[in-house]
Amino acid sequence: MKSYTVRDWVTIGLFGALWGVVELTLGSLLHAIYPPLADTFLTGVVMGGIGVAVALMGRRFVPKRGSVILIGVVTATLRLLSVSGVVVGPVAAILMESVLMEIVLWIAHVPRWPAFALGGALAVGWNLPHKFVMMRLIYGKDFLTVYNKVVQDGSQALGLDASLALLILAILLLVRLVVGAISGWSAWQLGDAVARRLGPREGDR
Amino acid sequence: MSPWGYLLFTAWAAPMTILCKGQWLASLALVEAAFGLVWNRRGLRLLGHPRFWALILTAVALGPLLIGEPDVTLGPLRLSQEGFTAGLEMAGRAFTLALAFNLGVGALSLSEIVAVFDRLGLRGLGFATGLAMNLLGTLQEMATVTLQTIRLRGGLRRPWMALRLFLITTVANTLRYRDEIVSAASARAFDPNKSPALPLPLRWGDLWLTVALAGYTGVLIMGRS
Repeated sequence: MKSYTVRDWVTIGLFGALWGVVELTLGSLLHAIYPPLADTFLTGVVMGGIGVAVALMGRRFVPKRGSVILIGVVTATLRLLSVSGVVVGPVAAILMESVLMEIVLWIAHVPRWPAFALGGALAVGWNLPHKFVMMRLIYGKDFLTVYNKVVQDGSQALGLDASLALLILAILLLVRLVVGAISGWSAWQLGDAVARRLGPREGDR
Repeated sequence: MSPWGYLLFTAWAAPMTILCKGQWLASLALVEAAFGLVWNRRGLRLLGHPRFWALILTAVALGPLLIGEPDVTLGPLRLSQEGFTAGLEMAGRAFTLALAFNLGVGALSLSEIVAVFDRLGLRGLGFATGLAMNLLGTLQEMATVTLQTIRLRGGLRRPWMALRLFLITTVANTLRYRDEIVSAASARAFDPNKSPALPLPLRWGDLWLTVALAGYTGVLIMGRS
């Protein structure tokens, strides 16, 4: 923490606020339209994809260990302080996504775009197990009930027979991983574009 | 009560929600309501939110349809009594968990959260959170202005290009704004790593709360065994 300068903390605060704006506007809207018990796919993928892009772009401008987790903690705190009543699921998802991204970037040591893509994929991919964990924690639902619900929803959305349960789950996970990888890669590309637009001072970082 | 007390309440009530079942879950809801009446009446306003009740009632309504074998016919619907019981418990769990967060952590003001971060040795994080909270409106306005500019220039005809432009411009403007904040902080010789942490003393209310929660936990353990 001592290695973080005032400039780093301000950047973390700003990217946390950017992610927070998305969570408090689009996130609240999507959670209202698709309640957690009914939706198994859309809200998590959209919010995860955008959140991953914002947090990883933040990492491009604070290239220090732990910065993605700190951005996630700021966003989660903003979500906790929001007036919207139901916050437990989104807060847990934000924290878990930022931890997963940070782990990948930490292992990569000097992160390049593949690490960003992998971190993004894992973070958005977390959405599927998140559903099982939160349904167990909040509603006390057992694994089989959630599994049936996910498979039923997936079979309707994909137009596949519910007996192909494993294929449905694999497709749902794959879509999340692909969306996450694209978000991570986009964060790298957009970070470059922003750095170019801001001039050599940012490019040097 | 100090912020530590509210944090303790959430840290205690959240796992209890997961551990309790049936009548114990109902008693936990009563304990939380009592906490709200004594220490955080504003937090009980959650009970007046239609969205909150929509979530709770969804759990009750979906239980008989999704869980267990249907054994009751109600008009065109075939329902399960086992599912209804499970739905009630799911709703109860969602209710108590939402209250645990809203009455505990939800009661803390921004300055109290910043002070808690400071006391935990995360000084810069408190500063960053305070900054983020105060800039939410500004960033929202910046994003809206950018979107309107792109729209007025006809950029929305190419949606992907428009999205890319929107993101780059919003982030670039945010980072330019950062420089102003850093300059203002430097001019005041502000350094979150060196500034003294705000005092956050414990109060008598924290002690009473700890005793009450320990007592309830003891009753619960004896009751379950």
